[in-house]
Amino acid sequence: MSATMTPAETPHTDLSATSDLGRFLVRRPAALIGLTLLVLQILAIIFAPVLSTHDPMQANALRSLQPPSWENWLGTDVSGMDIYSRIIYATRINLLISVTAVGAAFIVGVPIGLLVGYYRGWASNLTMRVFDFVQSFPVFVMGMALVSVMGQEIWNVAIALGVLFTPVFARLIRAETLSLRERSFIAAAKCSGATDIKILFRHILPNALSPAIVQISISIGMAILLTAGLSFIGAGVRMPTPEWGLMVSTGSQQMILGIWWVSFFPGLAIILSVLSFALIADAARDFIDPRRAR
Amino acid sequence: MGFSMTISDTWHRLPRPVRIVLARLPLLVPQMLGVIFVTFILVRLLPGDPVLLMLGNMATEESIATLREQLGLDGSIWSQFLVYFQNLIQGDLGVSMFTSNPVIKDLLERAPATLELITYAMILTLLIAVPTAIYATVRPKSIVDRASRVYGLAAGSLPDFWVALLLIFIFFTTFGIAVAPFGRIDPMLSAPEFVTGFYTLDALLAGDLQAFLSAGSRLLLPVITLAIVNSGALMKMTSSAFGEIWHSDFIQHQRASGVPERKIIRAALRNSLPPLITLTGFLFGFLLGAAVLVETIFSWGGLGQYAVMAVINSDYPALQGFVLVAAAFILIVYLIVDVLYEIVDPRIEV
Amino acid sequence: MSKKVLLETRDLSVAFGDKLALDRVNIALAENEVVGIVGETGAGKSLLARSLIGLLPPGAERTNGDVWSDGRALSTMSPAELRNLRGGVVSLIGTNAKALLDPVQPVGEQVATVLRSHRRLSHRAARQAAVKLFRQVGITDPESRATAYPHQLSGGMAQRIVIAMALVAGPKVVLADDATLGLDATIQVQVLDLLVERCRTEGLGTLIITHDLGIVSQYCDRVAIMKGGQIVEQNDVSAFLAGPQTSYGQELLKAAKVRPTLIKGDGDGDGETLPKVGDGTRTGPKSSPLLQIRDMVKHFRGRDGGVVKAVDEISIEIGRGETLALVGESGSGKTTAGQCIVRLLDINCGEIVFDGKEIGNLPASEFRAMRKRIQMVFQEPYVALNPRWRVEDLISEPLSLDETVRSAADRRSRVLEMLEAVRLPKTLAKVFPHELTAGEQKRVGMARALATRPDFVVFDEPTTALDIRVRAQIIDLIRTLQREMGLSALFITHDLNSVRSLAHRVAVMRYGKIVETGDTSTIFERPGHDYTRMLLDAELPIERVAEKDLMGAI
Repeated sequence: MSATMTPAETPHTDLSATSDLGRFLVRRPAALIGLTLLVLQILAIIFAPVLSTHDPMQANALRSLQPPSWENWLGTDVSGMDIYSRIIYATRINLLISVTAVGAAFIVGVPIGLLVGYYRGWASNLTMRVFDFVQSFPVFVMGMALVSVMGQEIWNVAIALGVLFTPVFARLIRAETLSLRERSFIAAAKCSGATDIKILFRHILPNALSPAIVQISISIGMAILLTAGLSFIGAGVRMPTPEWGLMVSTGSQQMILGIWWVSFFPGLAIILSVLSFALIADAARDFIDPRRAR
Repeated sequence: MGFSMTISDTWHRLPRPVRIVLARLPLLVPQMLGVIFVTFILVRLLPGDPVLLMLGNMATEESIATLREQLGLDGSIWSQFLVYFQNLIQGDLGVSMFTSNPVIKDLLERAPATLELITYAMILTLLIAVPTAIYATVRPKSIVDRASRVYGLAAGSLPDFWVALLLIFIFFTTFGIAVAPFGRIDPMLSAPEFVTGFYTLDALLAGDLQAFLSAGSRLLLPVITLAIVNSGALMKMTSSAFGEIWHSDFIQHQRASGVPERKIIRAALRNSLPPLITLTGFLFGFLLGAAVLVETIFSWGGLGQYAVMAVINSDYPALQGFVLVAAAFILIVYLIVDVLYEIVDPRIEV
Repeated sequence: MSKKVLLETRDLSVAFGDKLALDRVNIALAENEVVGIVGETGAGKSLLARSLIGLLPPGAERTNGDVWSDGRALSTMSPAELRNLRGGVVSLIGTNAKALLDPVQPVGEQVATVLRSHRRLSHRAARQAAVKLFRQVGITDPESRATAYPHQLSGGMAQRIVIAMALVAGPKVVLADDATLGLDATIQVQVLDLLVERCRTEGLGTLIITHDLGIVSQYCDRVAIMKGGQIVEQNDVSAFLAGPQTSYGQELLKAAKVRPTLIKGDGDGDGETLPKVGDGTRTGPKSSPLLQIRDMVKHFRGRDGGVVKAVDEISIEIGRGETLALVGESGSGKTTAGQCIVRLLDINCGEIVFDGKEIGNLPASEFRAMRKRIQMVFQEPYVALNPRWRVEDLISEPLSLDETVRSAADRRSRVLEMLEAVRLPKTLAKVFPHELTAGEQKRVGMARALATRPDFVVFDEPTTALDIRVRAQIIDLIRTLQREMGLSALFITHDLNSVRSLAHRVAVMRYGKIVETGDTSTIFERPGHDYTRMLLDAELPIERVAEKDLMGAI
């Protein structure tokens, strides 16, 4: 029995995760762009007072609707507020709402998805039917109704979006759990005396999490778009709070008159922000999925 | 025993599509009840006295008492639901505080405008997304493939309201090519006689070419807006659905058997019909949500704009009615999607 | 000698980027000839098959030589000519027939489509031709089968449809790439018999690609051995079986024959035989059996609401130190029975008595204490290991059941002990499952099941999905472990080959029932039940041909 097998062809060297990521980013310029945009947003959140040139909520009737200039880099809106400074400050509001909503949805949705995926029974079925139902409503319509009923506060926007995104995560984790629970390594764990808790959190969860992690980034992008849309129609954040959708809205009447900068730049901010999360999600999917990463 | 045998015999003798419809239809009842319950709960979520909120500033002692009675607010939550349900069955969705019309009347008047917008947007979106996605899959690394990847990623990041404003700025304000972004038809023209509620169709039916052209040109910008924004996502989803089939073993095997490429593409298309039908159903949902924003910008006068007015004016009966109708609409779309899906997929047993 | 060569490769090399996948392959296929290509996973067999029809997978490129069909090189053919070649001149039959058929088209249409792709025929005529061919490939009621969708067919039936598809356009060459992989042995024999018979009748050239030397010895005239993209040896089958020219060929042949003699219960002490029942057991009286199963029943609810009796009142006894093989084809209920014993499934009726204690109806919480003594080795080597855990953690997981192993140091030393027991280097302790070969993964699965030093182990299909040589090594290892640890075992398998050298007794299972039980030697020499005989006949042992040739020589 000298036939100890030759080790696998790939050498068993431990590559640190960071160097893997580094090489991955070099091969994926799109991911690098996404990451750079994200870093810029984080800088804007932290250093808003330093980066801005004006008080974002200071109206100035004398400087209403000024085009971009040395004084107001991206121009001013109807009430003479500096658009550049408002865009910088709005990063805080928009990302705060979106990240909170998606984070809450993730924290609530993941355990629910694990439980309804692992345990069969009427409770699991009922939960899924309720989720089906919530998801069958158009998200924007539902968000609009929830926010307008709960009251147009920043936190209510976050709560409404959190409620709407929870089924997304629960469903993803459930789908993974359903297939994982039939895999024989779960049966093997049972034979090894693993308890349900251990099976759920040490065996299933680590293997089920990847798509949900990708989904976080996708959902944050969607949440930014929804927040902006809600503010745009007047269901959400109110003036003079700096918020991208609201800023587009304040310029929407002037656009038709040729005063483009009031709406144009905040919209651009939305696009870049959503794009950064979409690019990161796209790259994360390839990075996590071993079939595509190789 | 014998009885159940005959039932099952009769059942299996029915044509498959009929069986599918009959099996799926009863599901609609609990779903509808669910929708009704959710819209009912929605307004109960209001902090404070719903009657005061619903009547707003115009509340008088008398009107408060009347509405309170009308809504059955003095009873338990279940009896309140029952009252709400009964009113609903009779077509009573309450009275809009803003327009002072019965909500059901407002909604019915505005529904065709939204449906027309969504239908055309849907057709254009499908026409852009599906052929592009298929071409990109069949010819990987072609220009179309690369472009569709970039577009799929970028289009998902576009806020539809901003795109609409930009299109107005470029094509109306700057170049003056597009017609004014106000309403469905030139205010100088009278709307064609109501047949389908679609101005374009009704104008053609009435033989009114001028009205047709006007209605068509008014549709252009909002429809393009919706298509630009939504075709990216649809393109991505179609390529992944079609791609999965395109790379599956049986397609490979047909190629190895010398089946001509166009026949292989046709077989792959036939196979991707079920997922495409599902995607089209989702698209309806997206478009309905997006229409809310786009209608507002183009003063479209449809359900979406009505909903926005309801939100701004805290017109809760109107908002409640809109949510109900939107949800019912989506449920019916999903019903159709499910039925079509089962018809085109022989693997599903009925 | 004068037979006409239909298809050949001359110095064919194919590479993925810089990596050479086929290296100067020379092989020729003449009319009315059956050639076998044998090799292990990754030898390049499937790539060769695809090269032969000029349909390389994405990323692969022909770097040298060419494929010649009827005097023409494939690389000089136009796309239209190539399309005509595929299916019209050279047909390919792949693995897993169900996946090769279009799921939303009736199978009759699909076969007709292939025919119409090569012949100018009316739709009607093509369909009639397809139905006619269905009858010839042994499909009963071909008219109505032609309207069926693939999901309505069994695996064997689907394979026949694919064969019909390959033959319909009247090709000169048929390539069968692991065409019967995953089918039950009895079905495999039927399908191969049919395929080879049809090809011989029509005088086609047939290339059978497989990893099973049994198939080659049964059906082929010549054999080519592939390794690392090269053909290392090519010879007549009888000559090869009599004495391979290369060491690799010898190794393969030896591994395929690894079942030297029938096991007799009373081993006479030489290392090749099993220990005597009762030898080396650590616990309990020797008289009573370790495991007794009485009238065990397991039902499942079927999709149509009916009840499927997966295990239907079976009774088994396994003595201390004894190995019982539970043999049956897919769907016989053998795996379900094994899962019931380790309580992955709850039984509906009957009892399971382990070492004098009834365990079949114990509450799950009480059964947990028994898990230390009853373990299972799972079928698929990779899927049974959590991909996110290191080998070390995987092996030590069941140690939570063993109160004698508490400290981290104890666990560590037990893990190393187990690695040694299954002949794996200690360095693999820190490695993740995907970094292991299939054989290594299998060994880790065994180390894990044996970590608590159980008295009884269920081995579920321990040798499937492994290459020949690896399979031989695993069988060797199991035998060593049986001897060293005095295990009692239930061996669930469809592979009769492995049973001969591993089990004291055999129980044959079909449709949820045990049709025959007996000593291994009795079962193999004097099978009592028709089904057992059928299973034995379905085996494609290498000796049979060798013996036959020998007889002929005499």
